[in-house]
Amino acid sequence: MLLAGPDGLLLAAAVWGLAAATLLAALAGLVPRPPQVLRHALPRALAALACASAAVLGALALAGGTPSRIEWWPGVPGEPFTLAVDALSAPFLLLFGLVGASSFAAHAPHGTSAGARARLALHAAFALALLAVFTARHALLFLVAWEGTTLTSAALVAHDLGSARARSATWVYLALSQLGAALVAFALISLSSRAGSFRFGDLASAFAALPPREASLLAWLFTAGFAIKLGLVPAHVWLPLAHPEAPGPVSAMLSGVMVKAGLYGLLRFAWQLAGAPPEHWGTVLMALGVASALAGALYAAIEADAKRLLAYSTLKHTGVLALATGLAATLAANGQSAIAGIALAAALYHAIGHGLAKSLAFLSVAEATHAAGSRNLEALGGLARRLPRLAAAALAATLALCALPPLSCFAGEWLTFQSLMLGYSSGAGQLRLLAPFAGAGLALASALAVAAMVKLYGIGFLGRARSAPAEAAADVLRPLGATLLALAALPLAWGLGAPLTFVALRAPLAALLPGFDAATLASGAGLALVPAGLGASSVSPLAVALLIALFALLARLVLRGARGPGRALRRAPSWSCGAPLGERMQYSALGFAKPLRLVFEPVLRVRGEVEAVGEGSHVFARRVRYRGAMPAVFENLFYQPFVQAVLWTSQQARRLQAGSLHLYLAYLLATLVALLLWAR
Amino acid sequence: MSAALVVVLQTLLLVALAPLWNGVVGALRARFQMRRGAPVLQRYRDLWKTLGKETVLSDGASALARFAPYAVLGAAVAIGTWTPVLTTAPGLGFAGDLVMTVALLAAMRVLLALLALEAGTPFGGMAASRHLMISALAEPALMLAVFTLAIGARSTDLARISAAVVATPTAWISPSHLLALTAMWIVVIAETGRVPVDNPATHLELTMVHEGLTLDVSGGHLALLEWAAAIRQLVLLTLVANLFLPWGIALVPTPAALGVALLAWLGKLLLFAVVVAVTESSTARMRLFRIPEFLGMAFLLALLALTSDSLLR
Repeated sequence: MLLAGPDGLLLAAAVWGLAAATLLAALAGLVPRPPQVLRHALPRALAALACASAAVLGALALAGGTPSRIEWWPGVPGEPFTLAVDALSAPFLLLFGLVGASSFAAHAPHGTSAGARARLALHAAFALALLAVFTARHALLFLVAWEGTTLTSAALVAHDLGSARARSATWVYLALSQLGAALVAFALISLSSRAGSFRFGDLASAFAALPPREASLLAWLFTAGFAIKLGLVPAHVWLPLAHPEAPGPVSAMLSGVMVKAGLYGLLRFAWQLAGAPPEHWGTVLMALGVASALAGALYAAIEADAKRLLAYSTLKHTGVLALATGLAATLAANGQSAIAGIALAAALYHAIGHGLAKSLAFLSVAEATHAAGSRNLEALGGLARRLPRLAAAALAATLALCALPPLSCFAGEWLTFQSLMLGYSSGAGQLRLLAPFAGAGLALASALAVAAMVKLYGIGFLGRARSAPAEAAADVLRPLGATLLALAALPLAWGLGAPLTFVALRAPLAALLPGFDAATLASGAGLALVPAGLGASSVSPLAVALLIALFALLARLVLRGARGPGRALRRAPSWSCGAPLGERMQYSALGFAKPLRLVFEPVLRVRGEVEAVGEGSHVFARRVRYRGAMPAVFENLFYQPFVQAVLWTSQQARRLQAGSLHLYLAYLLATLVALLLWAR
Repeated sequence: MSAALVVVLQTLLLVALAPLWNGVVGALRARFQMRRGAPVLQRYRDLWKTLGKETVLSDGASALARFAPYAVLGAAVAIGTWTPVLTTAPGLGFAGDLVMTVALLAAMRVLLALLALEAGTPFGGMAASRHLMISALAEPALMLAVFTLAIGARSTDLARISAAVVATPTAWISPSHLLALTAMWIVVIAETGRVPVDNPATHLELTMVHEGLTLDVSGGHLALLEWAAAIRQLVLLTLVANLFLPWGIALVPTPAALGVALLAWLGKLLLFAVVVAVTESSTARMRLFRIPEFLGMAFLLALLALTSDSLLR
């Protein structure tokens, strides 16, 4: 094994740390009655440290450290397997490290000892595979790692085998992921056979030598494969099914990091390897991005399962990522590389900003729903009083996911709007037509996402408990709550420091758009974000945070002055027009979303019927029966015809299998004759 | 005048005059209805009295209820600091722009809706749910309407947009400008909770949206929220006045120009007050589920404004 560069040690530490954590957690069962330290605390600490060293490595690489590399020869013919960090993998590595370390720090050993060990081992293996995806420089190794992320995470999605929902989610997840992996594998292997090498560097030169039609076909294969991982409409159906079923810390990595591997793949293979993408590539990505953002936000707004709501919200944010990436490609193809840089910076910044916020959301919501015994918002409520630390972390994540300033998702959307506006003004290509619709779609998606997040926190954590287990939810996990609260500093820092991050994203942006300097995006001593020379818009998350704090403080002083000496606060039961206030009198999650559901009825096609069952009169009903159903629009529209066709074909093919030996011999004969005729 | 002084002056104007505008609309409406009505300054007395009262929190309320009213007011005033009230001279424009304004409005809305859900009463949930539905439709229209102007200015900086509209005097009769202005007005009506979207004078809980949000808030906290709502309303009206109809705004902050700008601003606000008072006296509030059509109209008008801008440019 060869370690190159001083940072090679960090990379090796990350790889070996995760591998050791996996083995330790998996093998601790061999020791009779293993102590808690051996089967949980030690592997968890090892994995968290390994992820932290990956984060440091990513940060160093962004700061312009020497490229680090590990090589070893696995025994297959060809080049040695290589793991290396370069400018493009650095931001993703940083995201992986931060989210990974948080997820291991918050990995609580729920359930039986064997189950907890298996989950921890798979979690560490999943992290190792993801690390390899971001650092592989060898086509075969990349494919193995890509498959590894799918399989380990599928096992974690299916960890609750008793649940039919988890089993069917795993099935859909595996089916679509394998389709995506097959497309990527086909493209990579056919390219490798052209190049006669598996090294990424050789693949790029082989790609440049391809005839244009073949090159475009390969680029689209890559795009389709990675778009499935990114969860773009209509290949998104697996995401809201699979992400919520995994344990909380794994959901955090799935939504926080793994979907971004789709973005990484798009940028690495369809952009960097294939050379600057053509304009229609960008247009398609923009359209799919807006559609995904709208679908994700709308379904999140009406979803009543807390974790699935978060998964839909991931869809909204990956839509924003695709929109920004597509916009950048469109602009770059039209020679507007300075504006393209803004859009691409938006995509990279938002990938990390959303990852930090969404992982915190999954970690805290999963722990809270675990404590309250249900993921259904209708059975939660009142958790903010009972689990104050967890709830505070969840609140921070919720506000960040609403894209509110000064938190981590704001600057990415701000830059996307800026680049849409500037791209429109520059009149590049089809942007005259596309940009207004994309802007309108993005604005609508953001507003809907706000409604979804308010529902999540307002119904799930505030108000009164809607069920007995929620009423009894206890803050047993005190250190965990404190850890999560400390992790809330990450999205806050990423948001406040937005201008500085663009200086840091300089190298990856220059790798994709030669000649673009991201440092021009920040000015005024790193206070504000300014697309320099292109217009003169500017925001400063830090200044706004300080202004709000200043005025809130003044308001406090005014209030104190106006009140004079006297009691400031008193607590009293809520007033409900004189009647005793029951928890059933609160708005339910279903009722909360009803106005939006009615407004978007033509799209959602919700069906509901109310039937009054009474004796004699329908006015004085004894009971009211309510039935409601929301058809799975995308499944019916895109997948049902396909599944039908496959089933029909296999029905037809069954006729060939009559079970008679003579018939099979006749098939052989017919095939032989046909082959002989063909080869003649 | 120095930039800092101008920023402070503009912010103070917005904060101090915010309750007055409601008082003027109330007085005008009373006149139209042949009543004498409350004095124009009554809102200030109400505010002062409520400020001094004890705050009662629901016993189920979390820590959020204790800090949210301050944050809401803080956000409202923060938006005011970069809103061009009297002049287009650069002040705190580096801190906030159009998108930041929209985002902070959203932040206020999120905190208000969460606050309404704190007490666990049905009215809070109802108001929060309806409020989010209305603003989910109003926000994109607001964004698009102002973006139509931002594209002309090639900047989302509010002062620059205002200056760009002043610099092209013929721009305001262009179809896209008029369409965007109409859309913006509808949005302002919806966001500030006025007839025909909401009725600020209602006392029937089932029909309330904005009042319902603060139904469980009392004392000093209520005063802060009411004040914040008034500031937000005045900021939105100022955006209409100074982005869409920016006549009289001072391009250079000399004392004389600022005086003219102050008169122009007050005149425009008075005009808006008359329009709102006439509307509120002559039309009824809409049924809740007619509001999406109304706001959908604003959204389409704004989209039309944006696309017609691209055709005519």
